[in-house]
Amino acid sequence: MEIVTQNETNVTHIPQKKSLSPLAIARKKFIKNKLAMTSLIFLALVAIISCLAPYITTADITKINIGEMGLEPSSKHWLGTDKAGRDVFTRLLYGGRISLLVGISCTIFVIFIGTLIGSIAGYFGGTADSLLMRFTDLILNFPFLVFVIVLNAILFGKVSGLWVLIGVISLLYWGGIARIVRSKILAEKENEYIIAAISIGCSPAKIIVKHLLPNVLSTIIVQATITFATMIVVESALSYLGFGVPQEVPSWGNMLNSANEPDVLQYKLWIWVPPALIITLTILSINFIGEGLKDAFNPKSRR
Amino acid sequence: MLKYAFRRILGMIPMLLLTSIIVFSLAKLMPGDSLSGEIDPRNTNPQYIAEMREKLGYNDPMPQQYFRWVSNFIEGDFGKSTRFKIEVADVIGERLPNTILLGLTSILITYLLAFMMGSYAGRKPYTLGDNLIGGINYLGLSIPSFVAGVFAIYFFSFKLGWFPSNGSVDIGVTEGTFNWWLSRLHHVLLPAFVLGFLNIASYTQFLRNDIIENSRKDYVRTARAKGTPESKIYNVHILRNSVIPLITYLGFDIVAIISGAIITETIFTYPGLGQLFLQSVGVRDYPVLLTLTMMFSFLTLFGNLIADILYGVVDPRIRLD
Repeated sequence: MEIVTQNETNVTHIPQKKSLSPLAIARKKFIKNKLAMTSLIFLALVAIISCLAPYITTADITKINIGEMGLEPSSKHWLGTDKAGRDVFTRLLYGGRISLLVGISCTIFVIFIGTLIGSIAGYFGGTADSLLMRFTDLILNFPFLVFVIVLNAILFGKVSGLWVLIGVISLLYWGGIARIVRSKILAEKENEYIIAAISIGCSPAKIIVKHLLPNVLSTIIVQATITFATMIVVESALSYLGFGVPQEVPSWGNMLNSANEPDVLQYKLWIWVPPALIITLTILSINFIGEGLKDAFNPKSRR
Repeated sequence: MLKYAFRRILGMIPMLLLTSIIVFSLAKLMPGDSLSGEIDPRNTNPQYIAEMREKLGYNDPMPQQYFRWVSNFIEGDFGKSTRFKIEVADVIGERLPNTILLGLTSILITYLLAFMMGSYAGRKPYTLGDNLIGGINYLGLSIPSFVAGVFAIYFFSFKLGWFPSNGSVDIGVTEGTFNWWLSRLHHVLLPAFVLGFLNIASYTQFLRNDIIENSRKDYVRTARAKGTPESKIYNVHILRNSVIPLITYLGFDIVAIISGAIITETIFTYPGLGQLFLQSVGVRDYPVLLTLTMMFSFLTLFGNLIADILYGVVDPRIRLD
């Protein structure tokens, strides 16, 4: 009797303050990180302005305008016009839509495929693991850019251009994510709570989705930011080389393509400098966000 | 160690076969064959085209075509380029030295700069110099190589006129002379720098962090307690431990140079394998395309193998199973 009452008094006397969840701690740390927050705001601004492009500008970017070819920046054309007489500022906004769309869709697909394969391989182990990992090795051993260019050349024209590119990039890039997720799952599944979940009869799918993935989520989020930056680089590099987004669709890489002409490169700075700068700034801000997230999820860091 | 390396090499063989099958199927899947790119169908007798197809073996069953290709490939017979009308081996051989020179110069510049900046920043962390190097690195990690290339041409070639903006050698210089080599070096420096841009930043950062980490270890404290001069601690004790892990990146360098060369050579119109690859895709020069894709895949496989083996050399704890 005595012991029980003591226990009860203990419970009532100590005020139980609910401590923050790991995710809440990370959020708090991230918001305090000025550089990362600035980058996030910048990125959000670029995304919003790009999305609203049709409402912000009225210039027609599809039409070739012979009377206004290669004009310098003026009050009518804020960043001048390119060699086909199209407004550079407007194209920059529309290009942002495409570049960000390709970046985000590729990231979603890559993370999805990588997490799926990585978690199945890590959780089940054995034959499934070795088969899936050999397959991953095969994908990882392809020269990425070479295969994207070849595949894109094959599929081009058969399906609508943009989604071919997204599909090809995603199919060839998930290997690294799968490896990382697998190694995290391998370490995580040794914990007691997983054994407990198995013993009360949870299905493997439920264990992976409800118990394992939330615990490797921080890794996946950080990897997703890094992938997002890489995807934007890959898209613009391919478009720059002429093997990415179809030429008639404006993207940051396609716009930079005109810098291949010595005349443009040397004397018409307004055509190629804006896309070059916006690509760099976007990558820079995504990198800062990634660093901030990594810091925020790291329990050892004190900020 | 030898056993580990041997097993890794053996594991590479099925990977190589699978890759070759995939590369071959990809090339066969490409729309149109090399004939359709070469002959104007309006001017040529369709019967002649059909005959040529039959003669070149395009109508044989796929496995037969594959085995013919593989056995020829192993014998060093890569076929004839449909674009240049000469042997593929000659087309590639002509450009291979340029890419090798570009790759080697790039690796050299990368390691030299990363070593200098990294060891300085690691020795004087959190000072002005370190922060400056850190800032440059952050830019280096964020500027894509093709943006860096375009800016480099604009500033160094057009504005300052220090480096040529295209080609691999000046026209009119006799091959093999000292001036010829000088001119080639002059042409290769800027592309090589752009190619190594990203790696310089990441290796510098790696070396800096490793030196800082090492400088807190017990053996450094022991050396300090014995009265070893500070310069010797950094230049001998720490540097030896920090540089070794950097070597493992050599394997990945090979992989990075392949994709880097495609972009860099195109920007600088440098006549190497990367440029040849893109041109072959454009004109559907299958024999060249197939050989190059296979070569790049093999090199990637080889680079990853080297990285793995070097890991094993540096860290003896890493073994298969």
